[in-house]
Amino acid sequence: MSLIVNDAVLGDGPGRRRTAARRIANHMAILFGLLAVWELASRMGLIEEILFPRPTAIFESVIRIYFTQGNLWFHLWVTTSQVLAGFALGTFLGILLAIVAGMSETLRRYMKPYVVIIEATPRIAIGPLIIAWFGFGFEAKLVIVTLVCFFPPFVNTLTGMLTTDEDRIQMMRSLGATKGQMLRKVMLPGMVPIVMAGIKLAMASALGGALVAEFISANDGMGVLMNRYTFSLNMPSAFASLLTLTALGFVLYRTMEIIEGKLAFWVNEAELQKVSKRRAAAWSKT
Amino acid sequence: MAAVLQGAVSDSAPVESATRQIDIEGHQVSKTFGGAVVALEGATFSVPKGSFVSLVGPSGCGKSTLLRLVAGLLPLTSGTLTVHGKPVTEPRRDVGMMFQKATLLDWRTAVENVLLPTEISGNVTSADRKKAIELLHMVGLKDFEFAFPTQLSGGMQQRVALARLLQTGADILLLDEPFGALDEFTRERLNLELLRIVGDLGATTLFVTHNIGEAIFLADYVMVMTPRPGRLAKVVEVPFGRPREISLMQTVEFNRLVADVREILGAH
Repeated sequence: MSLIVNDAVLGDGPGRRRTAARRIANHMAILFGLLAVWELASRMGLIEEILFPRPTAIFESVIRIYFTQGNLWFHLWVTTSQVLAGFALGTFLGILLAIVAGMSETLRRYMKPYVVIIEATPRIAIGPLIIAWFGFGFEAKLVIVTLVCFFPPFVNTLTGMLTTDEDRIQMMRSLGATKGQMLRKVMLPGMVPIVMAGIKLAMASALGGALVAEFISANDGMGVLMNRYTFSLNMPSAFASLLTLTALGFVLYRTMEIIEGKLAFWVNEAELQKVSKRRAAAWSKT
Repeated sequence: MAAVLQGAVSDSAPVESATRQIDIEGHQVSKTFGGAVVALEGATFSVPKGSFVSLVGPSGCGKSTLLRLVAGLLPLTSGTLTVHGKPVTEPRRDVGMMFQKATLLDWRTAVENVLLPTEISGNVTSADRKKAIELLHMVGLKDFEFAFPTQLSGGMQQRVALARLLQTGADILLLDEPFGALDEFTRERLNLELLRIVGDLGATTLFVTHNIGEAIFLADYVMVMTPRPGRLAKVVEVPFGRPREISLMQTVEFNRLVADVREILGAH
């Protein structure tokens, strides 16, 4: 993270901007070079074209499934909405339960064996059972994604609850703070960085969970689309779908990183200076 | 100041005052942890209003324990302990505490940290906000009101913690090695500023340290404590007037007092 910060700060100089431009140009040259070699090797018959389509074929497929045929959007929407709904539900439940568990030692003690058992069970292995219970539609996939997204925020939030700085607690006690004030003013804000790390992890596994659910059995979604294309040996379209998932994964994860940077601003020096200026401005207004 | 107080350097006599109000009074105060570890045994003492008292001794002598008992952060095992004439049962508004660690909240600016005690006890008024800014100026943090703790040095963080302590409005200040983690120069400067500030406020101050010179330099009385089990060995009166300069520490009288305290500690 600190490397990115340094880059951003130093990047203001014109000299740095020139080197950045040159670096991007180099990256592009290497990328297109590799694609050209791949394309040539394919045309010369060095690569099995049926299983490993050439770049131009994949590009044509992208145009087709996105625009001329446009059949990708529906499946992309199904998967994305699934991922977001399951992620929201799983994260919410995970954090909520961890806060409750963090406040009661008795509850924690009786919950622990079940948490250990469920954690040791590969969540994906429960997939077929869930599909048997909930069917092939939205509900089954929602349950699977929720399950996958539950644990990282749960574990991290609980860790955050149990590792609150003892000195800060003593300080708050000496000020006569109530339990509620302790939670609101010290424990919850102090937990934001570690909880966000858990949420990020959940987001990273949410897409995987949704796809596996769709691979096992579903009617719609990107997993279904990928299955359909590979079974019919329409490899260029399978590759185009895969690239779409790469982009989706990137966008989802990057969004979480940006949200993390805003919420846990105090672990980021550049963000800290901005917030400091904003608070100073807000203060003088009141 | 010291002239009105009597019976300071004697074996059993606590800090006493014939003419002045007593702020903190302990009688046979004991604290045992887990039924086995005796952290403090039979401490009897009284602290007059407006005096500066240092608690000095090696690790395990119970000085921090005593401070936490006065703060109401720990229940005592036996004996009686009163603050402003009332038994201590829980943390109270008129007693404020400062720790070795600044214990600032990293997501709050300096002034937001100073306002924390006010937020805990009720609503923040514009007068409170004004006071918080003034206190930050008083501890030498002008232009750093909106800095976050991680942007400040260790010494500056403790200055914020001091401002936060003063924001409570407490007239009894408990300081647990507040500058112990700082370098010698910073500590010396902060000690001088602390003397000036608590002197101006007329606050009663209990200051824990393991540095004998620091204990004497700051205080009207030094409570010398010895370990295993933690005991209050002796209360030593410090005869030097105020305001005090750092050069005091070079004088023969000062160093004789240091030697006296060292002897009390060495005898146990």
